[in-house]
Amino acid sequence: MVETKKKTVITLICERAVDLDREMDEKGILKDAPDVTVIKFPCSGMIQPLMIEAALKAGAEGVIVCGCQIGDCYYREGNKMIRERLLGERPPGLKKTVDRRRVVALWLSRLQTKRFISEAKEFVGHLQTLNSITEAK
Amino acid sequence: MVMQKLYTDPLNKATLWLEHWTNVIATSKYNPFYYHGALPQFYLWVLFLSGLLLFAYYIPTIDNAYASERLINAWTSVDYITKTIPFGAVFRGLHRYAGDAMVLTIILHVLRVWFTDRYRQYRWVQWVSGVVLLLAVLFIGQTGYYLVWDERSLLLTRMTVSAFESLPVIGQPLKDWFINGKEITNLTLSNYLFIHIGLSFMLLFGLWVHYVRMARPVLTPPPVINYILVAITLAVVAMFPIQSGTMAQLTQTPTSFEIDWFFLWPYWMMTKMSMGFFWALMIGAVVLFTAVPWFVRTKPVETAEVVLTKCTGCSLCDKDCPYEAIDMVPAPAGSRFKLLATVKSYRCSGCGLCVGACAFDAIDLPNLLDSDVSNQIKAAAQS
Repeated sequence: MVETKKKTVITLICERAVDLDREMDEKGILKDAPDVTVIKFPCSGMIQPLMIEAALKAGAEGVIVCGCQIGDCYYREGNKMIRERLLGERPPGLKKTVDRRRVVALWLSRLQTKRFISEAKEFVGHLQTLNSITEAK
Repeated sequence: MVMQKLYTDPLNKATLWLEHWTNVIATSKYNPFYYHGALPQFYLWVLFLSGLLLFAYYIPTIDNAYASERLINAWTSVDYITKTIPFGAVFRGLHRYAGDAMVLTIILHVLRVWFTDRYRQYRWVQWVSGVVLLLAVLFIGQTGYYLVWDERSLLLTRMTVSAFESLPVIGQPLKDWFINGKEITNLTLSNYLFIHIGLSFMLLFGLWVHYVRMARPVLTPPPVINYILVAITLAVVAMFPIQSGTMAQLTQTPTSFEIDWFFLWPYWMMTKMSMGFFWALMIGAVVLFTAVPWFVRTKPVETAEVVLTKCTGCSLCDKDCPYEAIDMVPAPAGSRFKLLATVKSYRCSGCGLCVGACAFDAIDLPNLLDSDVSNQIKAAAQS
């Protein structure tokens, strides 16, 4: 039996979406939810489905993709693009083998910091229940 | 750095706040702020359609060329449209107020792109063409006021003539062009009609320039927003019906008129200052306004770069680029693939959408490489 390491949830986020600057330390770990590490992009449209797969393969518990409110991309279409990729409506999509239960997408404006924190906490909780179910099996 | 500055800017903060609460009320799908460019475009179609009906009945003359018993001219034809044609008054009102609404929504559009920093660098073509479009819209709107040929039209015509005459060198020819001859005749009104309609179609050319650097521009708001916009305009038409003033008489000199603040404010300014000062102010303001994108100095965009050895020519980045900045060119001899992606750096915003579109890690932002992202992800997953 491998010793269970403490796993993290990786957030891939647009730097113009929800404002987390005051919520995280210099390593990108959220103060209120220490399981969550934040990686910033110039636009959520830059996030590749491959990156999500890589994160899960590298041992992340789950991945949060976060962009601006749909309709309000600074670069016009970035959040729509990644949303369509995640939904399998635009190539390249997410591989079928990726566990969809471990990926969540949020579209939040710069002012919705509280909403992000609560959603992130809920997702961490959801992943814990998911783990206990899979372990029980 | 620019971003830090932007997010402490009170105007940007106010815009964000306003949009946030509109989202709460209307949801992001129906947030009019997210269709700010499509709103004036929608009103343009309303103007084209309502204008078509007015055009069918409008007669661009100032007196009766056919010596019939009844006077038939621009004013009486507008009167006929308003009073006799079923819903004529509604169409006339719609045409007038949709014009006002177009100016209003253009102002909203300008303020939003300005306050949210979406007007500079790779977007300068949109800004400059936008200024030209706005000036054209204002001028077209003013010619609409000349067309009804009431006392206000006559006064506006005379004010425009004296404004043109005050300009050195080009003044006289400009005046002759404007009234289509040396003095106000029937030909003046046919010229007004040509300017009004001809220039409206030129707007379409201007809009092409405005949109050419954008893939998939948002041209139409969702139907619900369109219905609401039309409903609001119709409500205004019903509440404040449009009426012409007294018919213009060339022998008389009207001295005052009701002002439409969306289009006729330059005429208000003319009454408050000398013509020389008026022109200096207008030209200066337009030059300053056009130069707005160059007021903020920032370092140039770090544009995307294609990794020549990895690109398979699949053209997904070309399809997804929101600024039409990627071109597929024939691959160099000896390549296994037919095509190769190339970046037009003068159009690139450095947003990285092409990176997201690439399944082969074949395109990179120099300031955030694919490999850097992978390392960050691995480090975060294993910490």
